[in-house]
Amino acid sequence: MTDTIVEIKNVTHKYKGAAGNTLDGVSLSIKRGETLLLCGASGSGKTSVIRLINGLIPHYYQGTMTGEVTVNGLDISKTQLYELAGVVGTVFQNPRSQFFSVDTDGEIVFGPENIGLSPEEIRSRKEEIVGQMNLDKLLDRSLFELSGGEKQRIACASVAALLPEIILLDEPSSNLDMDSMKMLHDIVREWKRQGKTVIVSEHRLWYLKDLADRVICMENGAIVREWTGREFADLSGTETKNFKLRPVNINEHYLALLSEKEKEGSIDQHFSDGIRLKDFYFSYHRKPYILRKREFTAADVDSLSLCIPELDIPKGKVTAVIGSNGTGKSTFLRCLCGLENDCTGVIASDGKEYRKKHRIGFSYMVMQDVNHQLFTDSVEKEVLLSMKDKDVNRCHEILNTLGLLEFKDKHPMALSGGQKQRVAIASAIAAGAELLLFDEPTSGLDYAHMEKVGELLHGLAESGGTVLVSTHDPEFVEECCDCTLRIKNGRVVSFEESR
Amino acid sequence: MALKLDPRTKLFMIFIVSAVVMMSATTPLLWAVRITMTMIPILLLIAEKHYAAALRFIVLYSAALLISFKFLSENSKGFLSAFLVGYCSIIVQFMPAVITAWYVVRTTKIGEFVSAMQKMHVPDGITISLAVVMRFFPTIKEEYSSIRDAMKMRGIMFGGGNVTDVVEYRMIPLLFSCVNIGDELSAAAVTRGLGGKVKRTSVQELKMGGADYMLILMFTAALVFFVVFKYMK
Repeated sequence: MTDTIVEIKNVTHKYKGAAGNTLDGVSLSIKRGETLLLCGASGSGKTSVIRLINGLIPHYYQGTMTGEVTVNGLDISKTQLYELAGVVGTVFQNPRSQFFSVDTDGEIVFGPENIGLSPEEIRSRKEEIVGQMNLDKLLDRSLFELSGGEKQRIACASVAALLPEIILLDEPSSNLDMDSMKMLHDIVREWKRQGKTVIVSEHRLWYLKDLADRVICMENGAIVREWTGREFADLSGTETKNFKLRPVNINEHYLALLSEKEKEGSIDQHFSDGIRLKDFYFSYHRKPYILRKREFTAADVDSLSLCIPELDIPKGKVTAVIGSNGTGKSTFLRCLCGLENDCTGVIASDGKEYRKKHRIGFSYMVMQDVNHQLFTDSVEKEVLLSMKDKDVNRCHEILNTLGLLEFKDKHPMALSGGQKQRVAIASAIAAGAELLLFDEPTSGLDYAHMEKVGELLHGLAESGGTVLVSTHDPEFVEECCDCTLRIKNGRVVSFEESR
Repeated sequence: MALKLDPRTKLFMIFIVSAVVMMSATTPLLWAVRITMTMIPILLLIAEKHYAAALRFIVLYSAALLISFKFLSENSKGFLSAFLVGYCSIIVQFMPAVITAWYVVRTTKIGEFVSAMQKMHVPDGITISLAVVMRFFPTIKEEYSSIRDAMKMRGIMFGGGNVTDVVEYRMIPLLFSCVNIGDELSAAAVTRGLGGKVKRTSVQELKMGGADYMLILMFTAALVFFVVFKYMK
């Protein structure tokens, strides 16, 4: 038994069809029982390192590779993926696409079934894992009805059920709220206590600062810096900025603001010029009706998923909409932009009132997964599609301000994530929307991209738009939001101006 | 009390019902058999607490039956009756298969299904592909509804616009996201040991119960009955 469990020797790798090397002479050795944090900008090679260790490179993703990878004494290039299943386990970023089953129980036992354990053994492992991770409440449920945090817990459990020595987590917190991040933190701590080797690739760094034994920073496919856990925990904001990382230490105020335990705040609104929302009531659990739908009113308080009798949103500012997963942020945004037809509610601005379908023209939402919003085969067409008068000049003007003019003939799907987001914003502007809604635009983004989104939102606000953005990132709220609006169980519980 | 049937029984039921709907009932006796066969999956749906679905199927099926027996005859004329004849006969003819399939899909877990296929010695390749297809339906539904929302926000709807464009707008994002999800899904599955040389096991232990044997017997009898009375006599 050696002390080193993962040995990467001088690996250079290039994906098939890619322009440059994803990894450039990377060497890394990881000790048994170590907790290692990989950080760095998007495209710096973090995910590729994870894929080297779990064998997806070279066995699943095609490319050319030189160098050697040894994991737990196995030469990866000569080991089949299924032989690694009991040695290395991976939790992926996107809960939507890592589940094989549709129910929680099936998912936890999926791995052990694959490696051919006996049913009794599988059942006892399942019970052990469920006890360890407190999953009783999640058993026998459909995976499609779980929240992001719950899905990620099941993903962790299904990996742990294979009892791997090494556990890899590839940006596991991207879609999680603060409370779920704490829970993820506790899972990693438990694995660390059990003596497992844990390797996390992550953009959001603050929640792991007390767990990491060693931190590796990557840039352009190479390791550029290494810190011990202690050094890392003391890094200041300017130092992390130099390495294009999100901050390790976050202003306590914002951490408290975004965590659910925060005491009830107040709603103080001292501005005259605002967009006024009135009578926003909506419920997903509508009582059955026969002939006529009854409109929701304030009297249905108990059954309402959204209940906002009156609220002002400051014009020309960026307002963060915060609150934990599943507490009604998305419902609020969906109702605002008119996607929920049954939602009562009037938007009043400049003496005009918008209700029902007319809300659609007034407000526009950029969805979390922008891929759903891009329909045509060129950027130019995409923007023109939103315009009633198909004014090509104005279209070019909008593309120019967003720095997209050079891509106007490209297929939107061929662009990078950030560019796609800007195409969606361009169509929102083209549609003449005054109220722009963003549903978690920064999840899974690195520091530089997060900053860019912040600048973009500010630009939109300065040119007269009103921006509402739902987010779980305290660092993002700190950097670029003027006001915070907290939602809890579909009610507005506080509104504060942050600067 | 929920009646849990073995997935093998359910597959057998689908098989028999599909065969029977391809043969038309000609005598009142055959009609009686056919209607009984339709009622069984509806009763099973009620046993599994899918009341709304059961009610919907019952209303639709009995309405179609009633119309085609009571109000329509061979010499009905006119557009409306021609339309009704076509519509109702399709429902009466094929509804039993639809109900059975709906029942099976709704009440079978993927784990049970995989386990049943293994017991029947179906190769893993086929079993896994079918399981992935089953897992993909809810995903497609989710993706589709987000895309519909996005289209609604852009004001793209059927009617007015060019129909082929609208179909294209729906299909392009849907295909893109399904391909991506599929790719990530298989990467996640292989890291958890799918596709190994070891024989897969299953925690779902299947046992045929009394109800299973009874249903298999009834459905086989119904098939034999149909074949004998239609083709032998």
